[in-house]
Amino acid sequence: MPQQGKDGRIRLTVLGGYLGSGKTTWLRHQLYEGVFGDAHIIVNEAAETPVDDALLAQHAGAMTVLAGGCVCCTGKADLIDALRSLCDQRSKQTSTGARLEQLVLETSGLADPAAIVTAIREDPVLVYHILVTEIIVAVDAANAIAQLSDEPLGRQQIEAADRLLLTKVDTVTTAGLSALVTTLKTLNPAAEFCAAVKGIDQPLHVDEGAAPIRLPAISGTDMRDPVVPVRIEIDPSTDWAAFSVWLSALLYARGTNIVRVKGVMNSPAGHLLLQAVRNSVQSPEILPKSASNYNNSIVFIGRGFTAEALEKSLLHFVG
Amino acid sequence: MCNACGFPSAPGHWTDAGVDTPGDRLRMQFRRAQVLKKILSDYGLSARVDGQIPGIQLSTFTGSQVNLRDLEAVWKEAERQIGAPVDPLDPRFTGIAAEPVA
Repeated sequence: MPQQGKDGRIRLTVLGGYLGSGKTTWLRHQLYEGVFGDAHIIVNEAAETPVDDALLAQHAGAMTVLAGGCVCCTGKADLIDALRSLCDQRSKQTSTGARLEQLVLETSGLADPAAIVTAIREDPVLVYHILVTEIIVAVDAANAIAQLSDEPLGRQQIEAADRLLLTKVDTVTTAGLSALVTTLKTLNPAAEFCAAVKGIDQPLHVDEGAAPIRLPAISGTDMRDPVVPVRIEIDPSTDWAAFSVWLSALLYARGTNIVRVKGVMNSPAGHLLLQAVRNSVQSPEILPKSASNYNNSIVFIGRGFTAEALEKSLLHFVG
Repeated sequence: MCNACGFPSAPGHWTDAGVDTPGDRLRMQFRRAQVLKKILSDYGLSARVDGQIPGIQLSTFTGSQVNLRDLEAVWKEAERQIGAPVDPLDPRFTGIAAEPVA
């Protein structure tokens, strides 16, 4: 959906997923249906010869192709350059006319979406121009379990997602799909799920009680404990200054084990919406004052901590 | 940015959000220094904000001082000096002895 940002920043949707998971197919159909409006599409391919742009070109309003390097690592500078020049062009337009409001970045199958979000946040120009609204990760329903079993990158992609898009769901049984969904929930309990076949959205019917498939531990990654969501309610008297000291220390020390932080926290300027992927925090958005029934509560998704430890530690910092 | 020293070089760390008046900003900086001082004193470090020099000044008890632009830089410098990151889930802060090892 084309979203008009109140703060004037361009909304960026990141579309990731493993090689062959159906990213381009889905995006192509979404563009055909006009879901992203007149978004500018950025396509990244790790290979030197791009193919995806030819598939997308007929429905996309404008497109940039970044080939020959994955934008989360070797091609990061190219991505930053491309985004900066888009922001430059936009800044030269008048704010009254139609301006670029929505970007969609289709990553290569080898990209870690979290690394891209971090790169944008750490860029002193882009942080003022671009707001990452959603990370969608495509998951190949037929092959995901095999990929996740031996590919740490596949797990990182799942962990970074806001929304998991199950593709090729017509090729698997309901039982298989249910097992996949519960398995994915052990990796990323907070993500929303949706399904598609050949890019066309499908209703997702799964048996919530299905047993998750045990994924083998991958050497060299931190898969010792499953990722769990922990929610802590924060006393309204807790002040933002002390809280931000605490959270920044926590993310600095435990960033690799905290996959995600989401929550609302009161501050002198209003209620702040906090969002972090690993140890990279997006600049917090101030929520509208009208709906004032926010509670201070933060969800931590990760491993190696308990709600009790978090609460006691915060009390020590604030007290 | 400070005209004389060019500090801070990068804008807006997320922890600096949440205040929109100069008074609130100053209050937040002082409160932040107070919290940092308490936490870091266990490690032989101290933090100071004087309202004049931008940023946070981290000092050791021997007197050496370094000026840091935001909290992330503070934790990084603290890790460098202490040899390990300041972990809020350390038993000394949580009071829980059998903290699961991450």
